[in-house]
Amino acid sequence: MTSAAALRHSAFVYENDDEYVARSVAFLKEGLDAGESGIVANTRDALAMMRDALGPDADRVSFVDVSATYTRPARAVAAYHGTFLEHLRRAPSVRAVADFQVGPTSGEWQEWVAYEAITNLAYAHLPVWVVCTYDANGLPDPVLESVGRTHCEVLGDGLRERDDFEDPRALVRKLTPEPEPLLELRSFSAGEDLEAFRHLLARELMAEKVPAGKALDMLVAGTEIAANAVRHGAGIEEVRVGRVAGRFVCEVVDRGGGFDDPVAGYLAPREGTGTGLWVARQLTWRIEPFDSPRGFAVRIWL
Amino acid sequence: MRGSRLSAEQERELVVAAEAGDEAACRQLVESFLPAIGGIARRFNTGGQVQRSELMQEGIAGLLFATRRYDPRMETPFWSYASFWVRKAMQELVAELTRPATLSDHAVRGLARVKAAQRAHAQAHGVEPTTAQLAAVTGFTRVQLDSLLAIDRTPRSFEEPLGADEGTTATFGDMVADPRAEKEYEHVLDTMEIQAVRGHAEQLDERERTVLWRHYGLGQRPQTLSEIGAGLGLTAERVRQINKGALEKLRKTVAQPAGGGGAGI
Repeated sequence: MTSAAALRHSAFVYENDDEYVARSVAFLKEGLDAGESGIVANTRDALAMMRDALGPDADRVSFVDVSATYTRPARAVAAYHGTFLEHLRRAPSVRAVADFQVGPTSGEWQEWVAYEAITNLAYAHLPVWVVCTYDANGLPDPVLESVGRTHCEVLGDGLRERDDFEDPRALVRKLTPEPEPLLELRSFSAGEDLEAFRHLLARELMAEKVPAGKALDMLVAGTEIAANAVRHGAGIEEVRVGRVAGRFVCEVVDRGGGFDDPVAGYLAPREGTGTGLWVARQLTWRIEPFDSPRGFAVRIWL
Repeated sequence: MRGSRLSAEQERELVVAAEAGDEAACRQLVESFLPAIGGIARRFNTGGQVQRSELMQEGIAGLLFATRRYDPRMETPFWSYASFWVRKAMQELVAELTRPATLSDHAVRGLARVKAAQRAHAQAHGVEPTTAQLAAVTGFTRVQLDSLLAIDRTPRSFEEPLGADEGTTATFGDMVADPRAEKEYEHVLDTMEIQAVRGHAEQLDERERTVLWRHYGLGQRPQTLSEIGAGLGLTAERVRQINKGALEKLRKTVAQPAGGGGAGI
């Protein structure tokens, strides 16, 4: 069974290391035998197990240390996208086994379950079969219960379609908290053009003692959001900045009708799509688009 | 559950600053939590197969990973969140190093290449090479090097005598310092490479960074294009072009995936 022409996103839940290795190796070897490329993403100790188990085939597989990848959902999407494209330069399709990693708080569980939903859309155009693996004994119950909601196929004794799979956009919307009003932000004039906006934003960043390298990230991200406000939002109504919970925040409010796509900026760049929000998400902690009393707002957390 | 003597607000500020790439904040954060990390490390009984300093370094890596994921708006105190990743990092190290490994031919050849590079460097420079230096010479990635070197590890027993001299009673275990001692913490911190998050500015060359930093006043007084040009021997127009080009370069780098390197391979 080879990968289809577009993304397949499956999952399996394992009870122990032996089961994880056996099923992952079988999945990868089937693909390698058919001329596909392979990727394993997991912690270092699990990668070492997989290298041993794959034997000579390990030379044909890339091993991804998840501690470098799973920092923020948008960056994880971008990291995998880059790896898939690299592999697709040398094989017609790719098989990837990626272990789900999550921290100890329920807020984080929601965020990374949303990431799994986003995966269904982010690389939908690529011939990649991603199998996400879930440790039954290491993950919290709410996360294990989400497997069927985010994967339309679960590998058990065979491949079973799930009837609890949810539309990715609807699920992401459900799992994304509503932005709270931030009364502590202060307004400043956006300036006459994007260059003036950057200078004014830079002054605010320096006033808040943001390190130079990070400030540059915000200047680039802020420019993307401001440019969108001018191009699609009938102009900038207001810009507000400040520190909230220690983070530098910039909010750009425009006069347009806005957009209502909870996965905007998460879809990997492809022909015919804009990249402004994708760029902004890569460079920052979080992007929150929402309707505000003064217009459509995009809030950037650095 | 706190893990340091810092107030919640001080912790939060340090975490955000460390995640933003402030090296001083990074170091201060690590120093503040070293005793707590040591407390977790002490609970691992590996029979000498994993050194205490290795557990500490891994724990620090776990702490720094936590800074890249921790949301200060969470009601969870930072250490409650970070201790999970510290413990996990140590568990993964212990699992990796204490697991019996079967060496493939490929691994045997790879390990031989690494050891040859280590010997050559030590002979040429009088010191062991760092991981980065080994990676540059051998062509292996850091992940590959860590795996190969881990396979080669020979565990030492804490009861192993230090010398063959008659009457020697000192053992290897005597040499392992008490991690509660300040000196041990400082040693771990000094030998560890705290990888600062440098941001995407690393994609720019030095002149591009200089122009951007000066033009937007990043960490310094902002300068006009003419002032920057005078300092670099360029016209104001040329500086403007460099500025525009650098911003576009950054944007393009982020918009188009690097491929391969982005996923920590």
